[in-house]
Amino acid sequence: MRGCRGTAVASALLALLAAAGCGLGAGADVGDVHLTVTREYGAVPMLERSVSATESDTVMRVLEGEAEIETRYGGGFVHSIEGVAEEDRDGDPYDWFFYVDGEEAEIGAADYDVKGGERIWWDYRNWSAVNHAPAVVGSWPAPFVDGIGARRYPVVVECMEGGRACELTRQALEREGVRIASGSPQGAIRVLVGPWQRLRTDSTARLIESGPVESGVFADFEATGDGYEVVALDEGGEVGERLGLGAGLVAATSRYGGPPVWVVTGGTEEAVRAAAEALDGEQLRDHYAVAVEAGKTTPLPLGKP
Amino acid sequence: MKSPFAYRPRPRPLQLASPTAAVAYLGAIVAVAFLYSNPLVLLAAGAAAVTAGLLAGARRAVRVALKMGAALALLIVVVNALVVSRGETVLARLGDWPLFGKVDVTLEAIVAGASGGLRAAVAMIAAAVYSACVDPDRVLRVLRPLAGRSALTATLVSRLVPVTAADAGRLRDAARLRGPGAAEVGKAPLARRLLAGSLDRAVDVAATLELRGYSLDAPKAKNRRSRSRYDRRFYAVAAVVLAAAIAGKAVGADDFQTYPSVEIGLGPGTLAIAVVVALSGFAPWRGRVSSLSPMRRQTRHPEAARV
Repeated sequence: MRGCRGTAVASALLALLAAAGCGLGAGADVGDVHLTVTREYGAVPMLERSVSATESDTVMRVLEGEAEIETRYGGGFVHSIEGVAEEDRDGDPYDWFFYVDGEEAEIGAADYDVKGGERIWWDYRNWSAVNHAPAVVGSWPAPFVDGIGARRYPVVVECMEGGRACELTRQALEREGVRIASGSPQGAIRVLVGPWQRLRTDSTARLIESGPVESGVFADFEATGDGYEVVALDEGGEVGERLGLGAGLVAATSRYGGPPVWVVTGGTEEAVRAAAEALDGEQLRDHYAVAVEAGKTTPLPLGKP
Repeated sequence: MKSPFAYRPRPRPLQLASPTAAVAYLGAIVAVAFLYSNPLVLLAAGAAAVTAGLLAGARRAVRVALKMGAALALLIVVVNALVVSRGETVLARLGDWPLFGKVDVTLEAIVAGASGGLRAAVAMIAAAVYSACVDPDRVLRVLRPLAGRSALTATLVSRLVPVTAADAGRLRDAARLRGPGAAEVGKAPLARRLLAGSLDRAVDVAATLELRGYSLDAPKAKNRRSRSRYDRRFYAVAAVVLAAAIAGKAVGADDFQTYPSVEIGLGPGTLAIAVVVALSGFAPWRGRVSSLSPMRRQTRHPEAARV
């Protein structure tokens, strides 16, 4: 009788553990995740893989499975990937940063669970000027398609006198299978389309004028008699090149840890349209932001002179 | 019954050596355990501590310390496995726990815990050998010129703790002798009785010390015990072990990584350090036992006469 009771309790406990998602081994497959490893703000590709992830996988485990890495602080901090280690180069600190679906994570890679479908991007970069770039455009079509870390967000295109560029932006998103929400749902990923003169009225977009330390975007706008011209900044946050009124900008930022806000903008309507035409994987992939001028895409930030 | 960790004088090199030599020797083994994380070197340090204890005749102390060390090591392994979910090789998924969050038991966390547990066990065994083999009175004599009160307190504690343990044994025996029908004595009444007894004894000891003038300045030692012929051996072994450990550390003999995946270095440097450390356990080797009669030997080794 006592033996039967023991067996029943053990069975109930096992059933409870199984129901709570417990089990032996790494667990079942949850789908593929896309892993990219680059250097120098995405300029130097190191590794690109599509990896099958399991229930117990984290961003760190996905990386460990595909690359030779060294960690510090009890395995919580990536020290080196494929021999490229954190260091001081000519007085500038270089380190590894990671983005999941185009958003900088607020937790460590070892604590970031993957659910399948994520785009994970590790980049080794100089962080002397900016150690926090909250959002990037280089994981396109993330975060619009599957959300961020498997958490889905409504996507809104806010047309702010963008004209034809608004339509081009919608088409680019829909081509990737994104359903664009109407109205202004709470917690949406917003895509602001229009000339900078109009976009700068938005409090989040305006962070760009406060510099890369605030926005994580290595670009600025300078007022001229005819409008605003895009100024490309270098890794140190210094003015690298004035691109003129005809240049457009595609960038992403966020405020107070909220969902990313993308800007598709420029000094003129033509510039905004050029920016909207750059919304595809080929032009955005592995870049923090891009400036577009006369059909030519310039990744931002610019390299140090 | 005496505590297994209580000092027992025996005519063995470790007991006959001066306390500083014995401490230097056992301290070197503990230092290796704290300098290295490589399990092979830690195992060698553990083997050295066990061998030293056995050769010094502290068999019971070593056995009990091994049991306690294994229990502590197991606890460290379990806690580390539950608290740290890092590492590449997931062995079990235990779901979300209220205090720990998501718990994944990984091979790497278990190995890291085992390394820490092994280190704690080595320290525990070495401490047990020290306690059972180094005369606390001689330690007091050595330390008295440096820190008289601290030395006195430490010596009293090292004496009174085994006495309290013996008291507990006697009380338990007395309780058992009441017969099978008697109610079981709980831990709380036993602890109360032991506390009351130890306070009484502390008052007696304090009064005795006062009467003997322990509050006065320490007199200069007149009949300081001459150096033991074993001192040089223990100092030399301690120096060799420490020098080898530091040199090995400098050349990367402590090659051991737990995260992101387990890598245990077994290179020639690591093997050499492990061999040196393990062999150091034979330092208390007595060699050929003298053919003198037990009585004559006791006369030659005054410590042994106290057995």
